[in-house]
Amino acid sequence: MYKAIIIGGSAGSFQVVARILNALNSDFPVPVLLILHRLKHVRSGFVEALSIKSSIPVREPDDKDYIRPGFAWLAPSNYHLFVELGNRFALSTEPQVNHSRPSIDLSFFSAAKAYRQDLAGIILSGANRDGAGGLKMVGDMGGTTIVQDPNECQVPVMPLESMKITKVQHVYNTEQIIRFFKKIQGNAQI
Amino acid sequence: MEREVSDSDFRLFVKTVRQYSKYDFSDYSDKSLKRMVGKVIADKKTDINRLVRDISNYSDYLESIINKVTVNTTELFRDPSVWKFLRKKVLPGLKTWSTINIWHAGCSTGQEVYSMLILLNEAGLFDRARVIATDINSEVLKVARSGKYRYRFNKGYLENFDLVVGRSRDKSTGAANVPYSRYLDVDEERDIISIKPFLLEKPVFKKHDLVAGEVSYPGKFDLIICRNVVIYFNHSLQNRIFEMFCNNLHPGGILVIGSHETIASPVSDRFIRTGHAYKKPGIF
Ligand SMILES: C[S@@+](CC[C@H](N)C(=O)[O-])C[C@H]1O[C@@H](n2cnc3c(N)ncnc32)[C@H](O)[C@@H]1O
Repeated sequence: MYKAIIIGGSAGSFQVVARILNALNSDFPVPVLLILHRLKHVRSGFVEALSIKSSIPVREPDDKDYIRPGFAWLAPSNYHLFVELGNRFALSTEPQVNHSRPSIDLSFFSAAKAYRQDLAGIILSGANRDGAGGLKMVGDMGGTTIVQDPNECQVPVMPLESMKITKVQHVYNTEQIIRFFKKIQGNAQI
Repeated sequence: MEREVSDSDFRLFVKTVRQYSKYDFSDYSDKSLKRMVGKVIADKKTDINRLVRDISNYSDYLESIINKVTVNTTELFRDPSVWKFLRKKVLPGLKTWSTINIWHAGCSTGQEVYSMLILLNEAGLFDRARVIATDINSEVLKVARSGKYRYRFNKGYLENFDLVVGRSRDKSTGAANVPYSRYLDVDEERDIISIKPFLLEKPVFKKHDLVAGEVSYPGKFDLIICRNVVIYFNHSLQNRIFEMFCNNLHPGGILVIGSHETIASPVSDRFIRTGHAYKKPGIF
């Protein structure tokens, strides 16, 4: 049973995330962490836009909030988001990594170390290489690694970069990613 | 890319610093500090053993390392919505006070301090303000005192200014917008934004370690501003610091924290919260 699912995405990932969140049951049993690059001008309103589609509430965590299930936790813009000891979030404003803050890599590293085999990491559409190192770490720590099928991605660079540096376990299109979530939902009910 | 130091190296670093200085990082949030220590080791092309050896031998070196492991990101009017909130909801409540004692804890290079002074001036409260601004990092305090910042890298400052102050005048009165030139000089050629001298003269910048406790000041504060500082502390140290702030506020005084921070119960019971402002209950 997973303790968390972490999703990294950039250009072209918004619709995919929205479809996934839309397909969840309102009692989805595992916290969903969303590390998404945002364009400067769409910084505000992002939570609202995702919330409209999502079946579970979308929140930007405050520093040291507990990582509770039942929410999609969206990394606030301009902060790095870490998973800390004691199952809490921690925020930081240290410099951008790979021109990104939030950095998908940093969040994936810390989640991978905290949850190890109980983590699933998913890299979606995007135009840079942020997240590739992070997904590798998820795999190295024994977690499940998934990328969105590059053929389906609006911008396939992020999944391709991930596949270059690590043996990704699953290459899924959006429908298959949704099925993966449903299976977690189903297992929890048994 | 992943430059976090190992748990044991990290503990050795914290222990050495504690042993050879008055600084105690034991209750820092480990993620960020581990990365910063890793970065120092990489930048200095050294290793943990040499780092702790040099730290224990040279106090100047230790001090310089402290300056390198702190995260100093800041901006003029960072998070404009918070400043709008302060302007509209907090400053009007200060108008009845004859002096306004303000403490910026973890002020970094000073942008937050000057942002506040600009708002105070716009509200006609500048002369009543007494301002102390502190940080653990002696290097950032030098920059803070100089009030000089890079221009090209920081064009966002002017955008923030316009969002918070520039358009603050009532449109119905037709009063002119506030130009930034009232507070800032921009020298594009030399790539410098400088804070005007009358603002520079106001604050007292002082080195102070929050973990060590209160800052020495004659009396209590009416306003304490501490944003994006305790996010680098663990939850229990955060609570200790918030308690300390509460004890150092006058009744009716206000603590302002960062836009992605909250004070958790039971410490939160000592405040009345509105948005990012936590008020210590007054005497009725
Ligand atoms: C990210 S900056 C925040 C600057 C500003 N308050 C803002 O929000 O824009 C954090 C500052 O906290 C300071 N700091 C870290 N630990 C501290 C301590 N124990 N005592 C005082 N300042 C500390 C750092 O040196 C750094 O300048």
